[in-house]
Amino acid sequence: MRKILLVIQREYIVRVRTKAFIIFTVLMPLLMGAAVILPGRLMMQSAGTRHVTIACADTELAATMKSELESSRASDDEEAPAATDETRGEKRGSKQDFAVTVESAPNEELRRNLTSMVRNGALDGFAWIEPDAIRTRKATYYSRNSSDFIESTLVSRALRLALSERQLAGHGFSAAQAKTLLGPVDVNNVHISNEGATQSNGLGAFLLPFLLLMAIYMTVLIYGLYVMRSVIEEKSSRVIEVLLGSLTPMQLMAGKIIGVGAVGLTQIGIWALAGTVLGTGGFAMAGRMMGDSLKDAHISMTVLALFPVFFLLGYATYSCMYAAVGAMVNSDEEAQQLQFPVTLPLIACIVVATAVIRDPNTPLAFWLSMFPLTSPIIMFVRVSENMPPLWQLALSIALSLATLYALVWLSSRIYRVGILMYGKRPTLPEIVKWIRYS
Amino acid sequence: MALTLEMETVTKTFDEFVAVDRLSFSIREGEIFGLLGPNGAGKTSSIRMMIGITGPDSGSIRLFGHSLSREGLDRVGYLPEERGLYKKMKIMENLVFLARLKGIATAEAKRRANQWLERFELGGWANARLEELSKGMQQKVQFIAAVLHQPDFMILDEPFSGLDPASSLALKDALLDLKKQGRTILFSTHRMDTVERLCDSICLINHGRSVLLGALREIKVGYGRSSVQLEYEGELPLLHDPALVANFNDFGNYVELRIAPGADPQRLLETAMRTARICKFEIVEPSLEEIFIDTVESTTRAVGSHA
Repeated sequence: MRKILLVIQREYIVRVRTKAFIIFTVLMPLLMGAAVILPGRLMMQSAGTRHVTIACADTELAATMKSELESSRASDDEEAPAATDETRGEKRGSKQDFAVTVESAPNEELRRNLTSMVRNGALDGFAWIEPDAIRTRKATYYSRNSSDFIESTLVSRALRLALSERQLAGHGFSAAQAKTLLGPVDVNNVHISNEGATQSNGLGAFLLPFLLLMAIYMTVLIYGLYVMRSVIEEKSSRVIEVLLGSLTPMQLMAGKIIGVGAVGLTQIGIWALAGTVLGTGGFAMAGRMMGDSLKDAHISMTVLALFPVFFLLGYATYSCMYAAVGAMVNSDEEAQQLQFPVTLPLIACIVVATAVIRDPNTPLAFWLSMFPLTSPIIMFVRVSENMPPLWQLALSIALSLATLYALVWLSSRIYRVGILMYGKRPTLPEIVKWIRYS
Repeated sequence: MALTLEMETVTKTFDEFVAVDRLSFSIREGEIFGLLGPNGAGKTSSIRMMIGITGPDSGSIRLFGHSLSREGLDRVGYLPEERGLYKKMKIMENLVFLARLKGIATAEAKRRANQWLERFELGGWANARLEELSKGMQQKVQFIAAVLHQPDFMILDEPFSGLDPASSLALKDALLDLKKQGRTILFSTHRMDTVERLCDSICLINHGRSVLLGALREIKVGYGRSSVQLEYEGELPLLHDPALVANFNDFGNYVELRIAPGADPQRLLETAMRTARICKFEIVEPSLEEIFIDTVESTTRAVGSHA
């Protein structure tokens, strides 16, 4: 036990004082904060006034469209039902100033002129509206950067409103009535969880589990790989020979996994502490900066308490496998190939995670939260999204622990033989022989 | 006298390959013992079993009179052939960590480490990372790591390789000091000159088997004064005459040869003088190197003819 403690101590100290640890500790929350705040901020930034020309023979239609464009504020959006994740960015608060001129005599020469103005930058774009637009509801928007979807969305929205108003007027609606009809609707999302109903507006409810998912995925992966690298380091530098003169392979492996895991817990502890200091869970700060969208995003204490539990389960499972991989190879380069099958279930977690966050109650989510190689991450995602029934949580953890027990047995056998083997990488039958070798 | 290590019919097999084959020898307390053999003879496999890294398939190993135990192994110091320390850690951290694994308190480990570093002229390097040191310096640190816990039994695999003459001398003096303190030392090497000067007993192994075992003095006497060292200028066709010369090791103007059984050294000198100018002619005991090559060749032939 004393020797295991010494190994733990060495692993811990050597890792905690590296620059990599300090940088990662500071950078991860910053990156996450940036991931939350930056896209919104960037979207909200007005890119300056857009100079746009509407070329339309119907001056009345052009005038309506001009006023719609000039009062453009995507925030009072009426497209809520169709809003997708992509449009959410502009839906909220992204404003764009337009300076609109109207050309009422569209002809080929005008089109050429406008085209060259767009090309030389005198104009940002122009909408070309054919006389039959009211019937076809079609128009063309010419601009330099077609990728600016906010600009083109706003133009098309202005045209749609103008056309609709015109048609409603044709049916006898007054301008005011038409405005009301075409105005936005406000759907208030209420999230019903086992802990009661909380208001949420979708974004926060999606983002928070996603951030937690990334945090647990990154820590499990990074610390698992640390164990592998540590094994390879001892093997390739041949310290292992000296060490084994003083302790058993089991003591060494146990000390290593516990030591590196303690580093991981330290890091998570620092993040949690920093988060608590910065506000409730750290996300409140991000919430304030972003306004509405994150105001309801908060982590419950249960979720916070379960983070280290699932980190430890995931880390222990993967670090055992990574230790075995490290023992099988002679160098980091060789490990690259061999670690891939081990890492695969982790990557799979990330791939399906979005679906699980959207709907944590599908059969896929259930089974992945039971399968021991994915359960620590997927179950945690489910927990952070909506607390699953207690029996599911208990079963998931129990299965995970049972698998861990088997993995420790298996890995320690591979490790014990592997660390003394140099030269060519073992084949699968050889590894089976190692496991049976007592 | 007490026995530090007893190997009895120890056998170790990897798959089909017999690395160590019924090896038996014992090392007396306080002696310097040479474990010799060509590359791949089974030296490292034997040593790994002595320090409990692997277990023998059959046979028994006793350390300090008991079967292998952690308590016993903590009294052993090991210098592996492939040097191994943490490259990114400081010298002092490396040394203290390894000493603590052997049960030495931190302060005591530091005190001893400083003494040893001074002795090997590494005093200013305690806080340097291992990777900043030259190969020879790392080697000395590795030796310190092996002796820091004052082991009663030291196993040194090729301790002199890579050392410059001054460092070799310092190491040799350190070893003799340790011997004077009554510590037992096992050398594993194929450098015969070192063994010849330092070892009390040797075990020569080839293909995992012991082929020559005993006190070095007795082994040499057993071979008799049948060797000739000869310095010459010219040609020596007589070297190829099996009636005169059993085998030889020719360096161009210096040759070591074994006289064929029953041949007369005087006749050999006469014959040599006819074709070459002889600067020196001396009848000596065979060098350990000759014995080594001779024994290895004959046992390899024997194994080869069996196969």
